[in-house]
Amino acid sequence: MTRGTLLLWVARHALGIALALMFLGPLVFIALTALMSDRQALTSDLWPHTWNWGNFAEIFEKAPLLTWIGNTLLYSVLATAFMLVSSIPVAYALARFRFPGRRLALLLVITMMMLPPQVVAVPIYLIWARFHLTGTLWPLILPMLLGDAFSIFLLRQFLVTIPREYSDAARVDGCGEFRTLVRVILPMARPAIAAVALFQFFYCWNDYYGPLLYAGTDLDNWTLSLGLAAFRSVHRVQWNLTMAATLLAMAPVIIVFFFAQKVFIEGVKLTGVK
Amino acid sequence: MKRLLLFSAALSATAGLAALTACTAGTESGPPKVAQSGASHEPVTIEFWHGFSADNELKAFDETLAGFQKKFPWITVKPTKAVQDGQILQSVRGGNPPDVALSFTTDSVAEFCKAGIFQDLNPYLKASGIDPASLFPKVIAEYTQYQGKRCVMPMLADAYGLYYNKALMKGHQPPKTMSELADLAKKLTVKDDKGDIKVAGFVPISQMYENAPIHTGVMVGAKWTNPDGTSAIGSDPQWKKLMTWQKDLTDWYGYDRLEKFRKSFGDEWSAENPFNTGKVAMAIDGEWRTAMLAADAPDLDYGTAPLPVADDQPQRYGAGFITGTVIGIPRGAKHAEAAWELVKYLTTDTGSLVTLSNAIRNVPSTLPALQSPDLKKDSNFQTFLDVFANPNSTTLPAHVNSVFNQQTLQEAQIKWESGRASDLDALLAEVDKKIDEKLKLTAGG
Amino acid sequence: MATTALRHKNPGRGNLRALLYLSPWLAGFAIFFVYPLVSTVYFSFQRYDLFTLEPVGLLNWEYFLKDQAAWTAIRNTLWLVVVMVPLRVLFGLGVAQLVTRLKAGAGVYRTIFYLPALVPLVAGTLGFVFLLNPGTGPVQAILSAVGLPAPDWFGDPAWSKWGLTLLGLWSVGDLMVIFMAALLDVPKQLYEAAAIDGANGWRQFTSITLPVIRPVLMFALVTGVIQTLQYFTQAEVAARVASGATDSAGSVFTPGYPDQSTLTFPQWLFQQGFRDYAMGYACVLALVLFAVSMVFTLILLRQFRGLGQDIDGEDI
Repeated sequence: MTRGTLLLWVARHALGIALALMFLGPLVFIALTALMSDRQALTSDLWPHTWNWGNFAEIFEKAPLLTWIGNTLLYSVLATAFMLVSSIPVAYALARFRFPGRRLALLLVITMMMLPPQVVAVPIYLIWARFHLTGTLWPLILPMLLGDAFSIFLLRQFLVTIPREYSDAARVDGCGEFRTLVRVILPMARPAIAAVALFQFFYCWNDYYGPLLYAGTDLDNWTLSLGLAAFRSVHRVQWNLTMAATLLAMAPVIIVFFFAQKVFIEGVKLTGVK
Repeated sequence: MKRLLLFSAALSATAGLAALTACTAGTESGPPKVAQSGASHEPVTIEFWHGFSADNELKAFDETLAGFQKKFPWITVKPTKAVQDGQILQSVRGGNPPDVALSFTTDSVAEFCKAGIFQDLNPYLKASGIDPASLFPKVIAEYTQYQGKRCVMPMLADAYGLYYNKALMKGHQPPKTMSELADLAKKLTVKDDKGDIKVAGFVPISQMYENAPIHTGVMVGAKWTNPDGTSAIGSDPQWKKLMTWQKDLTDWYGYDRLEKFRKSFGDEWSAENPFNTGKVAMAIDGEWRTAMLAADAPDLDYGTAPLPVADDQPQRYGAGFITGTVIGIPRGAKHAEAAWELVKYLTTDTGSLVTLSNAIRNVPSTLPALQSPDLKKDSNFQTFLDVFANPNSTTLPAHVNSVFNQQTLQEAQIKWESGRASDLDALLAEVDKKIDEKLKLTAGG
Repeated sequence: MATTALRHKNPGRGNLRALLYLSPWLAGFAIFFVYPLVSTVYFSFQRYDLFTLEPVGLLNWEYFLKDQAAWTAIRNTLWLVVVMVPLRVLFGLGVAQLVTRLKAGAGVYRTIFYLPALVPLVAGTLGFVFLLNPGTGPVQAILSAVGLPAPDWFGDPAWSKWGLTLLGLWSVGDLMVIFMAALLDVPKQLYEAAAIDGANGWRQFTSITLPVIRPVLMFALVTGVIQTLQYFTQAEVAARVASGATDSAGSVFTPGYPDQSTLTFPQWLFQQGFRDYAMGYACVLALVLFAVSMVFTLILLRQFRGLGQDIDGEDI
């Protein structure tokens, strides 16, 4: 290594480490605050004087965290399952069928994907109010039975890349269209399906606007995001407990990420264009 | 041609849906049924939303509900704590309301009544043989009705005054005028060597916990609205007097320092409230603070006094802001009959009102409870009973956009006290304009 | 080709089959897109609070022209579009460049840089506001210790949007990953040839890297704009926490604290529709938002016809 390239190497890693510290700093700070005593969390001291591990137990006493976790899971799991069941066939048809209007259909999927959810919020709210489902999470879960534009688009982008020869071969073997989809295409599309499932899951896990609109009224139907945002004021707690709850909300996401990092990264790449 | 396939399918589905949502979301209930004594009772569970969230208040309120349970064993109450007005409004409008709802403020009473969020309770009162005029003090009778509809009942009342920490007062008497308050605040403030505030004599900014304009406005006797519902804020010179006073004292501290100080406070309803911990010498607060101090800071030596008043209005000393907790039966409640039993018990049962008042130190809201010998009185709490009885004490006049009006004024106050707006007249004129436009949008006129 | 013959065997049946596969989405499109749009137009001429419906002509539209808060919200949203979106793209590109150059430990760096993008929005915002909070957060203490001005980030209208921008930069991981993929797609030989020609780093970047990754950058910009038009959660949570709104009687929270400086357009729409129940007026705001986002959607569609390449590589 010449001196020049060595210097460059050092400079790059110095920058990398500095950036890493900046990216990790807030997380470390949240963790440290989560372990402070009530009163210390109101000072600008960085290092906990006493390590209050009991804070993590206390948040479960102060707030119905288990209920919120359960609701968040219910929302995330059902929405993801429903999305997959409804969106895969649509994406498959858009990617691999030739039919009149498929161009228009794809354009409309993209348009729906880009539509801010607030635009159509009022009339859709009225539909759910009609069924007395406001105050629950169902208005966020049930629509997933009718497909999700973002997932459809992403799956479609992947499914077009599977050469037609595979499905033709299956058809020659006597498979119908549906069996071709299930037996041949789906196994090949596993990475894309895993990616959209993870995206959907985390979108729901992190969603704040949706639950605020529909489930905001009833504490029993709150999700973690809602509970977290109101944690301080509703439960009369200090910053340390709020940060402990914040950490708790982050933990599952981060754990899943470490196990499924590759799926994630591949999925994010899929959202870009070539 | 076939391209239109998509659209025709979509449109036909749309037509069906349009019919579905054409009318209103909520449902109107029929005439009230009131339980007959001795009749057999089906077990019923009612949902009850309330705003209590501080630990001491939750405990006392749970006991009150247990008392109800004992008397009405067939009614199971499922309470939800820490509910805000916004949640009540949304649940009723969204068609999925609780059976009974309690609100800490009278802010929304006009909206509750006018839009029919809560059912008119007059028929229930009549059927139960209750005469509100002889049961409630006059001021309470006022803030629980709007245009002839009594859509909420009062459950305990609140009065506001000044709390002072005797140790930090260094022998001074509580101030009676705003100038005295400002002078004393300066004297009692302690700063560290960097200039940061350690102890504030009094935090004047409107963002401080109970310094909202509805509470401070009473110090100068300021008016909110004209009889036609339009804003009186810009035309009433009292607001200008109050805000100039607040700004002068804020500038003495320095807004940034005051904000830094304020942001290191604990939650208002927790044991880390800055008055509990001796961070502020004087604070505006409601009568419930006496109970919270007893629970969270039993060693604190403090006193209470009426709010100081404008220097040129000494005759108004003793007056304060009065409001109350209100409770009602939302439109669309599933078990209105059982709900009324709970409302009736919580608002008219003398024993229950006195017990709850003694526990959380709220002002009782019925005449028999106010006169009950069981009501505990100490000098700190007596201050608030006196404020409550003072003829100059006021409540916020009912207004359909009450919350919006308060938001608008408070936003202007923040702008002003931070120094980000310098022309007070223009600022308040702007407030008038926003309030009047909003009135047109929501209520016509 | 044989396959073509196979496909075109029975077009009528094929169309029916396509309809069957598409049916869930078609229903969704009708219920959650066409119908709401049509009725939003209808409601924009009504006074509607979910209980009573009353036609008011153009009242809601007139109020929109006079509603200062709505225009403040538009300005704030535009600020975020003009400042935050490009900054995120630039920062994401810079970080991606760095990671692709770091041979040793690239995986670890990538993981660390991506991590904040996964943190739930509410959690991240809470942490950030507390981090930048004067009195309790370390950032102020550090800044003033080294003699820099220490603003009250989320309490000063001049700084609050920058606070949100910092939060956006922190969670830049998704862009980084997209850019890394694009950067790795640039053929190595091009750089080698350029190095022989004596082109320096910057020239290599502008003449080789940029043209290759241009479509990805544009895509990131346009989708960033569309996401920012929906910007809600971070602003709402940050304002609520920073204001110290205590939810006590008489202290009312309005979004946008301080001085409406963080009030975004979707927040104002939400406030009007679901807090003040001026549903008709909320529909006016919804239509404005729809128009603006449609403009950007059309730009996106025009820019990327390649999106619609079908399975046989034909443009559709």
